[in-house]
Amino acid sequence: MLDLLQSTADGLLFGAIYSLIGIGFTLVFGVMHKINMAYAAASLAGAYAGLTLAKLAGLPPWTVILTACAAGAVFGVIIYGVCFKLIPLSHPLATLMSTVGMFLLIDEIVVHATDGMPVNYPTFVRGMVGYGDFVLRGDLMFVFFVALLVMAGLIYVLFHTRLGLATRAVSQHPIAARLCGMSLDHVNAVTFTLSGALGGIAGALIGSAVGMLSPLLVVPLTVKGLIVTVIGGLGSIPGAIVAGLLVGAAENMFQFFRGVTERDIYVMLLLFLFLVFRPGGIFGADPARN
Amino acid sequence: MDFYLGLLQIIGVHTLLGLSAYVVLLTGQVSLAQAGFMAIGAYVTAMLTVLAKWWIVPALLAGGAVAGVVACAVGFPALRVRGLMLVVATLAFGEAVRLFFFNFDYQIAMGGIKVGPLGGEGFRQIRYFPENGYTTLHVMVFIWLVVIIVMTALWWMDRSRAGAVLRAVGEDEVAAQSAGLNLTAVKVMAMTVGGFIAGLAGGLYAHYTTHIEQGNFNVLVATFAIAYPILGGLSNVFGTLAAVVFIQAFLVEGLRFLGDWRNLLFGLLIVVAMNVRPGGLIDAHGWTASRAQIRKGEGLGWFDLAIGGITSAVRRLIQRWRGAFGA
Repeated sequence: MLDLLQSTADGLLFGAIYSLIGIGFTLVFGVMHKINMAYAAASLAGAYAGLTLAKLAGLPPWTVILTACAAGAVFGVIIYGVCFKLIPLSHPLATLMSTVGMFLLIDEIVVHATDGMPVNYPTFVRGMVGYGDFVLRGDLMFVFFVALLVMAGLIYVLFHTRLGLATRAVSQHPIAARLCGMSLDHVNAVTFTLSGALGGIAGALIGSAVGMLSPLLVVPLTVKGLIVTVIGGLGSIPGAIVAGLLVGAAENMFQFFRGVTERDIYVMLLLFLFLVFRPGGIFGADPARN
Repeated sequence: MDFYLGLLQIIGVHTLLGLSAYVVLLTGQVSLAQAGFMAIGAYVTAMLTVLAKWWIVPALLAGGAVAGVVACAVGFPALRVRGLMLVVATLAFGEAVRLFFFNFDYQIAMGGIKVGPLGGEGFRQIRYFPENGYTTLHVMVFIWLVVIIVMTALWWMDRSRAGAVLRAVGEDEVAAQSAGLNLTAVKVMAMTVGGFIAGLAGGLYAHYTTHIEQGNFNVLVATFAIAYPILGGLSNVFGTLAAVVFIQAFLVEGLRFLGDWRNLLFGLLIVVAMNVRPGGLIDAHGWTASRAQIRKGEGLGWFDLAIGGITSAVRRLIQRWRGAFGA
């Protein structure tokens, strides 16, 4: 019983990262109604680039989060320009395919730059807090709280600034937003920057929680991020947060009961349960509206 | 020589895989589960020929049928949600199938050795072709017979009412529904046919490689499956074939001298191709955009627009020259 509680708690803390990745997917979906398949790959690439930058500049290890954030934002803008801005909107398959191409390209660049070997990543907090045999790992707690902070910051930006107002307006009704004088290009670009920055931080947090980064993380992270997005409801930020924690906790529970090789099958089944019984997701709007 | 025959085998199987995604894409749905259906077809067909000693043709059909039934079953819940949710659902399904075969053991002893699928080690000894005296040439011809049958069937379907129905749903769901089409039935049908074709591709794949494992059916393969028809264009089945030849023969084999850099080029070329020709290599409007389209500028990529701009500038220049020399 205690073991189950322990693994669920660990999963819940790690789930905050899934929430961040899910928010990134959902933000872009909200304003553009498109999926950016390259997002998780770009997030991890941001984390790699952040580590390289911090090392080159000789900065202390904790600044990795900031440099990864900046690098992620740059990648976000690049993806927007290449895969969304230049391709006409009347070809939705072309944008999807070009982000898939971008995914392969980024992944391959990372493999090339690191020779496919895992790269050690700095861990910021060591030690743990415990009550009896139940302990919470310090590094996971750190990840969790940083993720919460970032989410709080994002919610502030979205709901208390003019920029956030414009983003929400475009996601609700792009034509009406344009009539009110908002530039779609500008809002889209800003959204990609924001989600990219978020992804960079998520990548750095994954690195610090796992202790290393490896290109092998890209596919599972993409799949989990998309699952979180769907379970939370496409375009819903609170949904992505809750779904991320849920998926993180459920994943570790499945691992506890069925072992690591079968774990992900049950996560997929969880997704299908939602698709059958609640296709709109936890906080989603009417599912017929996408 | 065997190298080229082998290449033709690969092209054949990948054409089938691309066509399986093509059918689904016609209805405007993007399915990333084709690799999963292919895995099901591969395992079922191989188990039938190796463990149950079936003849290959009924085994292939059975593998395709099982994959088709699974596709139909997946289609129902997944198609309740539209468009992009389906991408996620099918992606997750494909991964679930792969993980299922990662945990799937079913071995029986035959002639002193154990054969059958064994989890992460995969399924070895799929020796139907060598045991029955097929040479590489025979295998190649066999694969291409299946490809030609499937391509002809799809070509014919495309020209018939069924093709019109699929394309109507793909073009505009609301309009198709108002015309009295049952959207769910059409989409599930397309999914089923796509699953069947992917199952055939899997069965053939299992037999020419003689060894399959879950890693052969990963997300990359699913991506390839949708990349072929999207890169080739959805106007007819030959677009898919052209894209397969382009990717497998040119990118994968032709650029082998580039070593590791080839993989880098692959993603880059997809991005560039989608920028240059968003409607696919063989677009509905042919190789070049018409003048009317360029004037309107709708649905064209920057490349078409740039080409259009240059040609109209040249035309104007020629007219001015003619005016100046009084011709």
